[in-house]
Amino acid sequence: MAAALPDAEIVLSAEHLTKRFGRREAVSDVSFDVRAGEVFGFLGPNGAGKTTTIRMLVGLARPDRGAVRIRGLDLARDFRRAMVHVGCIVEAPDLYRYLTGRENLVHFSRMLDDGATGRIPELARLVALSERLDDRVSTYSLGMRQRLGIAQALLGNPDILILDEPANGLDPAGIREIRELVRHLAEDRGIAVFVSSHLLSEVEQTCDRVAIIHRGRTLATGPVRELVDRVASDRIRVVARPARAAAGILAGFGEAETSAGEDEGSIDARVPRERLPDALRALAAGGVDVFAVERRLASLEEVFLDVTGGETV
Amino acid sequence: MRFSGLVENEILKFTRQRRFRVVVLILVALIGLIVFAQSRSRERFAKKDWHVETQERMARIQNWLRDGRMPASSQRWARFELDRLRYHLDRDIDPEAVSGPLFARGFANAASYLLLPLLAIVFASDVVSAEFAQGTIKLLLTRPVGRARVLASKAAALALAITLTVVFGGLVAYVFGGIAYGYGGWGAPVLAGFRVAGERLDPAAVRVIPLWQDAILAYGLAWFASLCVGAIALLTSVLLRSTAAAMGTMLAALIAGTILPRLASSWESQRFLFVTALPLPDYYSGSPPPIPGLTLGLGAAVLAAWALAALVAAFAVFVRRDVLA
Repeated sequence: MAAALPDAEIVLSAEHLTKRFGRREAVSDVSFDVRAGEVFGFLGPNGAGKTTTIRMLVGLARPDRGAVRIRGLDLARDFRRAMVHVGCIVEAPDLYRYLTGRENLVHFSRMLDDGATGRIPELARLVALSERLDDRVSTYSLGMRQRLGIAQALLGNPDILILDEPANGLDPAGIREIRELVRHLAEDRGIAVFVSSHLLSEVEQTCDRVAIIHRGRTLATGPVRELVDRVASDRIRVVARPARAAAGILAGFGEAETSAGEDEGSIDARVPRERLPDALRALAAGGVDVFAVERRLASLEEVFLDVTGGETV
Repeated sequence: MRFSGLVENEILKFTRQRRFRVVVLILVALIGLIVFAQSRSRERFAKKDWHVETQERMARIQNWLRDGRMPASSQRWARFELDRLRYHLDRDIDPEAVSGPLFARGFANAASYLLLPLLAIVFASDVVSAEFAQGTIKLLLTRPVGRARVLASKAAALALAITLTVVFGGLVAYVFGGIAYGYGGWGAPVLAGFRVAGERLDPAAVRVIPLWQDAILAYGLAWFASLCVGAIALLTSVLLRSTAAAMGTMLAALIAGTILPRLASSWESQRFLFVTALPLPDYYSGSPPPIPGLTLGLGAAVLAAWALAALVAAFAVFVRRDVLA
């Protein structure tokens, strides 16, 4: 994954976004920046406020407090000039089903500058829809509609692409296609991509940086690796014989799973980094043969459990 | 992003939906049925030679005129009737017969009550609500085009669709009427410009105009009434965000408009409701107003005021409201 350049230009920034529905605060003080050329993940369980935040990012809903800036333009004041830089899919790739793919693209290109219509063939190739472009959208699969939605979003040569749950309802092959397309757009074209998802593995595989939202608040923001490391620094896997004795010794330095047998086996354990040398010496002294010690990378799931205090997605 | 492109988009959506074909079909089927039924019922009253009958009537009227005892207002009418009969006799047309043009003209009156407003409602009800139902509103309003412009393009396309519907209705009525009754007779003189003065018709305002002019006036009024209904239906579409709810509301209003004058004609405030003002061509053709005090001018003003208020409200809501559903 290309590391997002920390000094790359900020294309989209959310500043203290807050949205109330009646008494309930659906989104509270959400802030983040998305930079050119990075894939930014917006992760949270359903109902966490992801879609409400996205609706504010694209001007469908007005924040009660806070502002959205796109290339420095205040969305509330400069809607048209700001939206020139944005392509988006909100919630589902809803297009006109009774029109063909091409008609849909022509329709939306008429809402852009004059050159947009000319980009249709190239975009159809990019999303692999050239063959089916003159079929009605009602005959498309969900994956094809998702790709047509992305082509639509790219019509205006946007600087930022906002995709709401792009993997929703897709089969594994479809998910991979979207992921590759998103990586290509960010890495090769320098587009900032904002992706919301409730799928941890998806965000982990696609995104450079991530913000975790839960109950309307951002709990953590940072590079995916950094967030993972923050939780994962004490997670190790030891391959040793006899495994049960090894697990018993390791448990004395932290936690270790205890269900290992008398033979050689691998034990997942949590031992703080500074105590690891002592733990290894203790293993040797205890007559345990150690074959491997490796750091175990935490999944984003564990990160999420960690920051939300145990609530699953 | 020219405005014409946006209107083109809306027209594309109109024409590609089944709705458009249904409206065309309704007009063709309905008018066909009316013509068929009417020509059948007329065959039963086939008369003796109308040439003789017409000449006899003309002679009678000329005698009355020569008498000189006729009041001035009736003399005007008598001269008109004489002109009318002579026009038909000269062209070898039965003056009592329906002609294609006359049928088309009559259709404007009949359709302005219910049919044309209904079709306007069919178009207008889902102009905005369909975008919500399909979810496409989220794309439509996240493009670099102001919301007012988006709604304006929709209103423009709607006005065009309603205009085409009225024109098409008139054409179909003429073509079908022509098949049954012949295509000639646009020049036939008709009386127009009735004005009710107190309890009686004011004969001073009555003018004789050719049928084609009369038809254009009638269709113009029906068109204006349909446009106003379309504007009001557009508001319901914006407010209710559901095509079925919007259409239902407008239908209920239309039906109330046909019932109210019959059940409670003495309630004078109802002349300020847009639905009772709909049959504009009637008020202009001189039939007594269904509600006392409702004139062509007032009816048109009431409709225009409702339409304008509806448009203002529709824009205000559409531009401001959050899109969440």
